[in-house]
Amino acid sequence: MPEQDYDKRLDAVLGMIARIAALDFSRELETSPANDMMDAIALGLNMLSEELESQVVAKSKLKEVNEKLEEFASVTAHDLKSPLNSQTGLINLLEHCLDAEENAEAFEYISRLKKMNNKMKCLVEGILEYSRTCSLEISNEVVDLNVLLKEVLETDNICKRASVTVESKLPKVWFTTTGGVQVIRNIIDNAIKYCDKPKCKITVKARELHDHYQISIADNGPGIDASYHEKIFDLFTKVHPYPKENSEGIGLATVKKIIESQKGRIWVESSTGNGASFIFTLKKVL
Amino acid sequence: MYRESNKIKFTLRSDNILHTTVLPNTVMTLEDGLESTRISAEMVNNNPLPLLCDLTNVIKMTQECRQHFAGQEHNKTLTKAALIVTNPISRLLGNFFLGLNRPIKPTKLFTDYDAALKWLKQ
Repeated sequence: MPEQDYDKRLDAVLGMIARIAALDFSRELETSPANDMMDAIALGLNMLSEELESQVVAKSKLKEVNEKLEEFASVTAHDLKSPLNSQTGLINLLEHCLDAEENAEAFEYISRLKKMNNKMKCLVEGILEYSRTCSLEISNEVVDLNVLLKEVLETDNICKRASVTVESKLPKVWFTTTGGVQVIRNIIDNAIKYCDKPKCKITVKARELHDHYQISIADNGPGIDASYHEKIFDLFTKVHPYPKENSEGIGLATVKKIIESQKGRIWVESSTGNGASFIFTLKKVL
Repeated sequence: MYRESNKIKFTLRSDNILHTTVLPNTVMTLEDGLESTRISAEMVNNNPLPLLCDLTNVIKMTQECRQHFAGQEHNKTLTKAALIVTNPISRLLGNFFLGLNRPIKPTKLFTDYDAALKWLKQ
């Protein structure tokens, strides 16, 4: 092949690579019947361009669908709150109107109604909380995890329900205050909720690694069988042998979503009867 | 058993492996893919068999055709597929079937028939 033809074809290949990089999939490279190496390269690039375009379009559609679903969940949960609160009020009024002794059966029904109502409210709150995690990525800042932990312990009155030990000073990380509070709160809440001992003991510590920290929140609860270690982070999944009434299977899914939005990882180390350690990673402040 | 379309030759070997080859300088389109599936299904009598597919003479395969070969309908006819790739273009195509157009049944690339047959018979 004459050198200038070869250079022309190479130029066309470089041009194609540049267009693909710019997500311009509108053109194809020419191939010749010679089926030489340059034709093979041109064919390969054309095929890769097609596949990449399909993936980009699919990803864009998926993103749009996800955004619409999240918006729907948020709006629906928000709109459900008001009638649910009204329902709570009405049930309470009904309770006050009736004489407990004369209406034992009715009171039993009211008690069941209240439980269902509360369950519904927890579910709605959980869905709202989960859908709010989408907007967290945009407000990252340097966050002191010691401050966040203290905030959760004080606000939620944790020390009356559990003994919390902080084994090492927690680091400052690149995170969001809201996200950090949510993660700590949800993991600690779970530890207390599922505790099967007279006293719930929680240990918090941090470990510094090359470019991130590992934060661990461990409890002395019943532990989690290995077969559930992945599933417990799925939305609406409850895998405790005796699921709690006020648990909707949203808390850990929310935690995972928040951590992963920060490009972190979360996992559990546990076996039945030996408590559980929830470990998550957060980036160092560079 | 032997069949032929205008682009592909199909041989059902005595060892119950379906062997396909294509005519020189073949461009495979979705229509060709659909026809290949139809003929293969008839030859294996709807009992999936190992497939030995020689891509040597294919000079182009459309995206739709690749997606079809990777999909459920075509893969009902086979248990696993050994693709023979002996030149740059067929090697290129073969690699698409290992990644971007990965079929739902086990698929491997080979440069010679002996190694391919050995794997298919495992």
